[in-house]
Parts: sequence; structure tokens; C-alpha cells
Amino acid sequence: MMAPLLFTLLLPLISLPFIYLLGRKPKVAALIVTVSSILDLAFLAMTAPTVLSEGKYVESYRWIPMLGSPLTLFVDGISLSMAVITLLLIISATVFSMSYMEKEGSLREYYILMAFLTVGLVGVFITSNLMVFYFCWEFMLIPTYFIIGEWGYRESYRAAFKFFIFTHAGAVSVLLGIGAIYMLTGDLDMFTARTLLESAPPSLLEWIFIAFTLGFAVKMAVVPVHMWLPDAHAEAPAPISALLSGVIIEAGAYAILRVSFGTVFPSIMDRVAGSQFLYIISTFGVVSAFYGAMTALAENDIKRIVAYSSISHMGYVLFGLSLYPLVEGVVGTVLHLVNHAASKGLLFLCAGAVMKQTGLRDIREMGGLASKMPVTAISTAISSFSIAGIPAFACFMSEFLIFMGGFQASSMDGFFYLPTALMIVATVFSLAYVLRLFWRVFLEEPKPGKVSKLPTLMAVSMLFLSFVNVALGVWPGPVIDLIGSAELG
Amino acid sequence: MIGLLDVLLPTVILTVSAMLTLPILTVIRRRNSHHRALAVLWIVVPFSAAALWIIHLSLEYYGSMGSQPFVFVSFAPGEEAHLSSSFLVDAVSIYMVIVYLLMGFASCLYGILYIGFEEKPSERYFALTFMVVGSVMAATLSGDLLTLFIFWEASAAGSCFLIAYRKRADSIEASIKYLVMIVIASGFIVYGLSIIYGLVGSLNFWVVRDALITAPDKRLLLAAFLFVAAGYAIETAVVPFHMWLPDAYTAAPPSSAAFLSAIVDQASYYVFMRVLVYILTPPEVLNWPVALAVFSALTMTVGNLFALAQRDVRRMVAYVCVADIGYNLVAITSVKPLGVMGNLFFFFVGGMTTALAFMAVGIVNRLGLKTLEDFAGVGRKFPLTSIALVVAALSFSGVPPFAGFIAKYLVFTAAIEAGMAWLAVVGVLNSVLQSAYLLRLIHYMYARPAGRRVRGGEPRNLLIPVYIMVVAIIVLGMYPAFALDLINPAALQLSLLLS
Repeated sequence: MMAPLLFTLLLPLISLPFIYLLGRKPKVAALIVTVSSILDLAFLAMTAPTVLSEGKYVESYRWIPMLGSPLTLFVDGISLSMAVITLLLIISATVFSMSYMEKEGSLREYYILMAFLTVGLVGVFITSNLMVFYFCWEFMLIPTYFIIGEWGYRESYRAAFKFFIFTHAGAVSVLLGIGAIYMLTGDLDMFTARTLLESAPPSLLEWIFIAFTLGFAVKMAVVPVHMWLPDAHAEAPAPISALLSGVIIEAGAYAILRVSFGTVFPSIMDRVAGSQFLYIISTFGVVSAFYGAMTALAENDIKRIVAYSSISHMGYVLFGLSLYPLVEGVVGTVLHLVNHAASKGLLFLCAGAVMKQTGLRDIREMGGLASKMPVTAISTAISSFSIAGIPAFACFMSEFLIFMGGFQASSMDGFFYLPTALMIVATVFSLAYVLRLFWRVFLEEPKPGKVSKLPTLMAVSMLFLSFVNVALGVWPGPVIDLIGSAELG
Repeated sequence: MIGLLDVLLPTVILTVSAMLTLPILTVIRRRNSHHRALAVLWIVVPFSAAALWIIHLSLEYYGSMGSQPFVFVSFAPGEEAHLSSSFLVDAVSIYMVIVYLLMGFASCLYGILYIGFEEKPSERYFALTFMVVGSVMAATLSGDLLTLFIFWEASAAGSCFLIAYRKRADSIEASIKYLVMIVIASGFIVYGLSIIYGLVGSLNFWVVRDALITAPDKRLLLAAFLFVAAGYAIETAVVPFHMWLPDAYTAAPPSSAAFLSAIVDQASYYVFMRVLVYILTPPEVLNWPVALAVFSALTMTVGNLFALAQRDVRRMVAYVCVADIGYNLVAITSVKPLGVMGNLFFFFVGGMTTALAFMAVGIVNRLGLKTLEDFAGVGRKFPLTSIALVVAALSFSGVPPFAGFIAKYLVFTAAIEAGMAWLAVVGVLNSVLQSAYLLRLIHYMYARPAGRRVRGGEPRNLLIPVYIMVVAIIVLGMYPAFALDLINPAALQLSLLLS
């Protein structure tokens, strides 16, 4: 029997004893994680034909029948593209770790936690059952907590603590929503629940929508609840920062799209509150975009700049989500998630490489490093340009789609003129902070200081992600087709 | 036809073995080789004998359905049955007995390895644990309020000695405190029972229930039940009456704390549920859920806030127990099949998690490390014990894939279903608070450098019962259907009872 999705979910767990037994040499442990992720990719690829032809691929197993929760594994274009970019990022981060983490202790445990993290991260994207979803959602938390705490910088456990408490508080709010949906429908499948909720009392649904969106927004680090992000991202080891910014916060955005909008929103869309929710979300999106970009301009710590830029980009995503159910908005948002994962992941790896090679964090102490570390410079350039939304690099296309959606929404609802215009202004700030970062670190007058050689494996993983970035930038067609094959709106 | 002995056989087995424990352990102690293995074997024998009988009982009756108990036996036939002691077997009681057996086995195993039976009066300790498990089982299987009361008090009396075992000043004080509370509670209960008996002429669950529904003037009867409920609330340690619990669990040997939290605590919730949900419903009789909901919110909040303020780790876990009472009450107040399901799952999982926490903390305590500061760096020194404690902490705070999550999910969903969304919100906020201070404990264990130097490593054999619990928590968290399949008949029975 072929069960590619089940294997995708279980393979990292199956690999655990192997990591434990064979992982005395950290490189071997890393290799096992990499291989299992590559196999995961292969399993996911097996579902692609069905997804492209029929729009989705579903597997279902018995799990907790008493709670209306079979273990339903599901992919459509949206979740498939998210899962694939997640795995690509995990592979890059693991390969990067092989050299980056070399000097650290107890690496076997690090890779075990990494394998756990893979289960949670991939699982969130490949299920349509809210219970399974919640399991994976929280499953991300524990390994991330310990990785940040144990292998992070400075007061790492403090940052990890903040991360855990914030996201767990968000998660219990989500749990309330799930409980309410179970009570209303007796079914926890997102798509079945969506149909069943149409007959539910709308005032209650509004509360459920708020509970879900609030909970997911914490993970997504939207502005008033973003406080955990700069610390966690800055103190985590670079490969985990890449995953945090690249995938974990995006899981929040994906969840808003899938659960808040996909499951609950259709039943309240036509009410006054429905459009008000969209206005509120789009406002928070604009605020996040500006706040993140401005703070990134003011920061001097290389990783904190990148961390704040993530907040800014989640603002774009939130704005894109508020265009629901416009096709351009949804496709643009998901594409932006994919692109942002690739480019922000790369940028964090580059920041890690800079820190590793120079031993510095403050960009004021750096300068003129381009000639000394060409590979890092090129990769940083590619990811920075993508973050700034320059054509031919990944994020351009998705931002363009989101703005197109914004204009289309404006023509239907006058409210959206202002946010769309402001979002376009925000891109200027994005350009400003990445150029400042690049200028300060790589150009400018060289300052004294030793620069060590870039280890090959780090270079390989950075160049690989650079390639992904450029590929997404010049040839986004297939990804857009894949995302578009999902049932939208 | 089933006889009285058939229902009571597990209790009889455990009581008889309790009596035999004294001579047998004394004999085993004299022979010096393999004594530990023999002692462990002696624990295994009565538990497996009782387990066999319970498996037989459940296979025989578990499938049968109805709002009445599957089996109901009493000393006297016919009309006089109302007057005599009686026992019943229904889905809830069978499930609880299974839970006691499993938990009892694990915590007795821990006890025999922790207390060390080389110690002189330890055979009394083990005899008492058998006795308590046996009387708790009989209380669970009892069919009228008086039998329930008698066996329940028997187990409470046994618990007193388990608390005072070390004969240190603080443990004796704690056990006197416990005893005083129990006596006050018994006063309430007996007073209530006498009124009920005077009015109804029987203390049988089903007769009393009928009387409650049909009686023209219910006021006095309800007042009597208020006494009974208040008495059991004291023994359950619902918040204004919770003071004895943290003292008792901190002063008792860790193995006693684990045992009591896993068995006596859960039994007290069971008694509460039996009296409130199975007798005092349908709600038109008396609208007690709202009042109880307030108490449950209070219990959760106070328990968690006090836990937050503790420096002594074991005391903190004891306050987590108090908070757990609140979560259990949330499900009881819902009076819904889902709530009963959540309750029964919580009894099992909550008991397991608190027991695990006490066991793991006990291992560290043994080396003289007590406060949060002492726990600094424990994560590196005792990696296996620490992982177990982390599992317990995460299960407490309701993080999947640990069983505590499913328990909390069921409980909160039941509250929402019963139209008490505010209670679910309070519970969820409490959950966040709980995860905060438990995470602080993890933070101390892993983030802080070790403070005091201690000698000695992890005792390997003590980790066996600990890891039995860890595996059970993870398995039940990943695949709760194992337990939920077992609980389902109980929930169905309640829905039949309510309709």
C-alpha cells in the first residue's frame, strides 16, 4: 500500500533511533536528517501528479474516532508548495549546521530535536484535520524551545522562554476555537466543518474567528504581539533562525489562510463584521510592515535587523490575507510565503556566516567584507534584493501579485486604496534597510579584524538557497500554477 | 448470578495480601540474596491476581448497556435491600478500578524501590498501600452512600499513616492537619447522610436519585446533599478547603505523595462525580453546576497562583495538584457525556502526571535538592530524571503530544458544550499561567549553572516506574483511543441516564 503522506510524517520519527545510535559523529546525524528530509521531498513529489490533476490528495487513518478526529493527511497546491519549501529550508539548515555548529556540544541531541521539528513543521502543512493540525502546531514548540535555549547566544533560554510562552498562549486561544468548532459541528475536518458551520449562529462564529486569528497572529508575530520574535530570532543559532523566520512564523500565516479564512470566514463573509475583520487585518498588516521596516533601519545588530525585517514581511502577508477571497490576493500571499521563506532563510544563513567568519554582530564594526568573503556577499546580495522586492529576485513577483490584488480590491471597496498605497511606500523602507545592511557589512571602508575561511558545507547550502531564490524570481510560473491548482476562496 | 464476593474479590485479594505482607517481607529480608527482586515479585502477585479478576468482570459485563448499573448486589434480597450495604458494577466504576490498579502498581513499585524495604518498619508501609488501594476500589464499587463513606474513610485513615511514615515533625503535623480535615468532613457527610436516610429510608444511589426527582418538597433533602457535597469537597481539597493538601504532599515521603496523588486524589474526584453527576442530576433538581463552576474557577486560579509563588519544587507540584482539582471540576460541572469522558480521562492522566512529577522530583529530593535554586543545573546532572520531569511539566501545561493535552481539550470542550464558555476561557488562561511557571522550572533545570555540588548519580532502578509513566503519557497522548474506547461506555451510560 502506498501512503506517501503518512511516510512523510513518520519518516523523521523513524529516523530518530538511527540518529541516536549512529549519531556519535555529528556529521552522520546531520546526514540522517538530511537524507530523511530528501526522502520526505520524494514522498511529497509522489502526490504532486494527483494534486495537479485533481486539486488535492487525501489519506485518512483511524485515530481518535470519539473526537471526530481521523488522522487525515491532505495536500493541495497551497500546502504542497509550503511543505516543499519547508523541507528545502530544513535541508539547507541541516547542511549549514554541519559546519556552523561544529564547535558546539551534544550535537546528537541537536539533530534529534531537528528531526522532531521536521515532524511538526511538515505536519502543520499536510493535514486538514484540526486536531492533527494542533498536535503538529504545538509539536514545533518543544524542540524549538530547547534548540534556542541550549545552542543559542547570550541569554538564550530567556529568549526561548519568551517564545514558548507567547506562542503557547496563542495556541490555547486556537484550542478554544477548535473546541467550539467541535461543539458546533462534531467534526474537526476543515472542509467538512466549513460546510457544517454555514448553519451555525454567526455571532458565535465571529468569536471563533477572532480566537483563531488572534492565536495564529501571535505565531506570525503581527505587531502588537511580536515581542517574542526579535529576541528568539536573534539569539537562536543561525540555522534555526532561518527556520523560525522562514517557516515557523509563516505557519501562522498559513493557518490564518486555512483555518480562520478557509474554515470559519465563509460563513460570516456577508455580514458587516466580516468586512470589518478584513479592514482590521489589513490595518494591522500595514502597521506591521512599517513598524518592522523602521525598526530594522534603526537596529545595528545584524540578526535583529533581519528579524525585524521578518515582522515587516509578515505585514505584507497579512495585507495579502485581508484581500481574501480575491484570487490574486491569495495566490500572491502564498507565493510570498514561499518566496519569503527562501529569501529570509538565506539571509539568516548569511548573517550566521558573517558572524561565524568575523565573530562580530554589530554592523558598525564591520565593513568592506565583500572582497574577503565573496560567496557570503553574493548570497546576501541575492537575498537582500529579493527582500527588497527587486525584479528577477524571488519576492518581487509575489509582492507584485499582492499589490495587483490590492488595486483590484480597491476598485470594489474604497477602503483598500490607502492600505495598498501605504504598502507600496513600505517597500521603499525595505529597500532602505537591506541596502544599509549590505552597505555597512560588505562595502564601505574595510575595518581591521580577522576573517576566517567560509566552510564548504555552509557555502554549498547558501549557494543552493541562492539558486532557489533566483529560480523563484525568474521562473515563478510552475509555483503559481501549483498554488492556483488549489481550490481558492 | 453474581455474588457479593465476585465484586469484592479484588479488594479481598489486596487486603489479604496486605496482611501477608508483614510476615512475608520480614522473611524475605532475612535472606540476603535476591531480596529486592523477591520483594518486587511480591508486589506483582496481588496486583496481577486482582487484575485478572477485573479483566474477567469487565469482559463479562462491559458490553451490556443501560442506565442502571450492569451488576447490583446487596446483602439482603428484596425490599430490605434498601437498608443493607450494596455494591454495583457499572462502566464508570470498572474504569476507575482499572485505573487504580495500573497506577497502584506503578506507584507501589516506586515505593518499594524508593523506601527501600531493608528499612525496618517498611513492611507496614507496603501493607498500608495495599490496604488503601483495596479500600479505594471497594469505595468505587459501592452502591450506596454509606458503603461509599465507610470505605472512603478507611482509605483516608490509611493515607494518614502513609503521610506520617517518616515520623518527622513536619510530616506528623501534616498528617494531623489532614486527619482533622477528614474528621470535619466526615462530620458533614454523616450529618447529611442521616438526614437523607431519615427522609428517604435508604441510602442506595438509585433510590435516593428517584426520591430527589419525585419528592414534592425537596428543600431538606437538598440541604442534606449540600452537607454531603461539602464534606467531600473538603476531602477533595476544593479551594477554600485545600490547605491540607500542599502540606501533606510536601511532608510525606515522595513515594507516598505519588501514591496519594495518583490514587486517593483521583478516587476523591470519582466520589465527587458519583454524588454530583450520577445522583444530583438531572439539573432541574438543583442547579448546582453554576455554583460549582465558580469553585472550579477559584480552585484553578488559586492553585496556579500559589504554585507560581513556591520555591520548593515539591510544594509547587502539590499546588499543581490543587489546580488539577479545578480542571476536574470543570468537566464535572458540564454534566455532559463529553464531560464525563474528559473527567475519566483526566482522572487517569492527571493522576499519572502528578505521580510522575512527584516520582521524578522525589529522585532529585533524595539528594537534598529541594528548592528551585537547588534544581539549577539538574538537567545536565540527571538527564533521564529531568526528561521525565519535563514530560510531566509539559503534560501538565497541556502541550501535545502528551496525554495532558487531550485531557484538557476534552474538559474545556465539555465546558463550552455546557454553555460555560467563560469557564473554558478561565481554564485556558490558567493553562497559560501554568505553562509559565512550569517552564520556569525547566528553565532552572537547563539554563542555570549548577549551584551545589552533590554526589551520586541517577538510581537506575527507580527510573523503571518513572519511565513506565512517561511511556504511558506519551502513548496516551499520541493515541488516546486506547483509553477513550474504554471510557466510551461510561459516557453512553450517562447519556442514557440523562435522557
